[in-house]
Amino acid sequence: MISNYIKLAWRVLARRKFFTFISLFGISFTLGILMIIFSFLQGELGNNSPNSNKDDLILIETLRLQRVHLDTIPVIDTVMVNGVEVFDTTMETRSRGSSRWNSSMNNGIGEEFLSDLPSSINQTLFTNAEYDVYVNGVKVSLETLYADANYWEVFDHDILEGRVFDKVEMEQADQVMVISTKTAKEYFGTTENVVDREIELDGKNFKVIGLYEDKGKIIPFISPDLVIPYSNMTLANQDSYYHGYFNMVLQKEPGADPDVLKKEIETAATLVPMDHPTKPDGYNELIFMSKTYNEMYAQGIYGDEDASKSLSVMKWVLLGLLSFFIVLPTLNLINLNVSRIMERSSEIGVRKAFGASQGNIVLQFVIENIIQTTLGGLIGLGIAIAYIKIFNNSGFLGSSTMVFNTKFFIYSFLITIVFGAVSGFLPAYRMSKLNIVNALKENKL
Amino acid sequence: MIKLDNISKIYKTKTIETTALNEIDLHVPKGEFLSIMGPSGCGKSTLLNIMGLLDLPSTGNILVDGQSLTKFSGKQLAKFRNEKLGFIFQSFHLIPDLSVIDNVELPLLYRSNISGKERRELAAAALESVGLANRKSHFPNQLSGGQKQRVAIARAIVGKPDIILADEPTGNLDSVMGDEVMDILIRLNKESKTTIVMVTHDERMAKKTDRLVRLYDGTQVA
Repeated sequence: MISNYIKLAWRVLARRKFFTFISLFGISFTLGILMIIFSFLQGELGNNSPNSNKDDLILIETLRLQRVHLDTIPVIDTVMVNGVEVFDTTMETRSRGSSRWNSSMNNGIGEEFLSDLPSSINQTLFTNAEYDVYVNGVKVSLETLYADANYWEVFDHDILEGRVFDKVEMEQADQVMVISTKTAKEYFGTTENVVDREIELDGKNFKVIGLYEDKGKIIPFISPDLVIPYSNMTLANQDSYYHGYFNMVLQKEPGADPDVLKKEIETAATLVPMDHPTKPDGYNELIFMSKTYNEMYAQGIYGDEDASKSLSVMKWVLLGLLSFFIVLPTLNLINLNVSRIMERSSEIGVRKAFGASQGNIVLQFVIENIIQTTLGGLIGLGIAIAYIKIFNNSGFLGSSTMVFNTKFFIYSFLITIVFGAVSGFLPAYRMSKLNIVNALKENKL
Repeated sequence: MIKLDNISKIYKTKTIETTALNEIDLHVPKGEFLSIMGPSGCGKSTLLNIMGLLDLPSTGNILVDGQSLTKFSGKQLAKFRNEKLGFIFQSFHLIPDLSVIDNVELPLLYRSNISGKERRELAAAALESVGLANRKSHFPNQLSGGQKQRVAIARAIVGKPDIILADEPTGNLDSVMGDEVMDILIRLNKESKTTIVMVTHDERMAKKTDRLVRLYDGTQVA
């Protein structure tokens, strides 16, 4: 019976070409768009090299100095003091002053207070700068990252040739660099045999010791054009004991609660002495503004000072979009199916006359719908793969790349099939209850 | 075989009640070829639909082989129709998306004890018996009216039902094709002893059957 239904479904799809086109277009377009959106997010937020540890990273971009003082505010109240009723008109309140100074941190602060936290298994300090160099008279902008040697452990770049710099080279401030394939192409015109060649930057010659694959991420510290030991910088020029050039990323144990490490970072901030001579006047509290990678990304889009709020907003927006893209075409599909199945009411009448039960009728139409949604899903997959390739090759998305996620495809595909089955079930169930005589009177066969 | 006991059918709307059948008592013995005649709107098709369990009477009882069917559930009625009854409709009601043989197979699809191969063989034999063995792979829109009705007859007989209910089977056919279809039905009745109840407007066709029942305004008059 099932094979007969499959055969019939195929013929119905082939015969009603316009309806089939509309349905398949709806399903494949929806799934395709979903896949494309998710592939973009997967490229940006997925655990892909060089950001495979993404879920275990806590980023500190900002060190905040702020003034906290006690205010008194007038109130009219009666309070009990030592059993005596006292009429009081003032109250002390802990109120933060409006003065805040947000900036990146001095590497010394990071090394001294954040390098040995119990929940942190690794950490790296880095800062970025952009240099313009000229190759055969053509300007090439190089997004440069100054980092410590741990950078290569926290971020797992694919090293194609040579090696990365180590702690000794970092300490010795060796003039070495590891460059991306993008830089190799732009500077040397090739990615072949670039190790041991030199690039002049800021008046110094740096020897290329390694080449890593450029993965084209939006975030500069994940996808820089080249990486140099930060000991090559003039660190003494930093603003103060507190503020300086650096961001820091701390890595927690996989699966550990990020809030535990965030709490430790919060505690570490209280240990920083607030009496250093370079401290600007009036500030008496220091905060390391810590956030997860996803919070950082969401904050970049939503812009709220509270990173976790930004992430929460972004999640709701994405959920809303996802629902919109799934629910709307499903309603449309149900609508189409109602008219399609109603059109076949006399067929339903004939089938019931010859002994089909309600269940047989429902099963037939659900199978038809599942076949239709499966087809639509496969077309959607094709569309998504094609567009991901086109987008990635065209550079349309700038430095971002899309990464196809098989697991997400399977989930969306299954969801689509379930929606397809449901959208077929409801009208089929209604029509299966149709009075046979009335169904036969429709006479559309 | 079929016994209709005081059958009435009343259609009700908010404002009006229409009596389509009024206290019909009818007995169709096994192997009889019965025709029902009457003017349009007299209740012929309603009576046939009730005999075929496609519709339920407002009052009265339907007995087939002594078994009362009015209390059957939807599922039991479906099974009964599938095993005991075959239908032929005036406008054929073939499914356009299915080939001729798939259309003929249709009643067997709802029987759990028949394999695909067996279904195929039975459908081929049914088509052979109506002279359409060579049209198995055609689709309904590739057939003439007479051929379509012969396919419909093959579909009605493929499950070897005891009773065939035919609603103006020759109504959409010219006289030659009508005669061809009628000959098949008569042969079926004689050779297989299948009970046939046929609604018709055609006196000539009715005369070829064993007995004629006439209806007028929902009442049996002869």
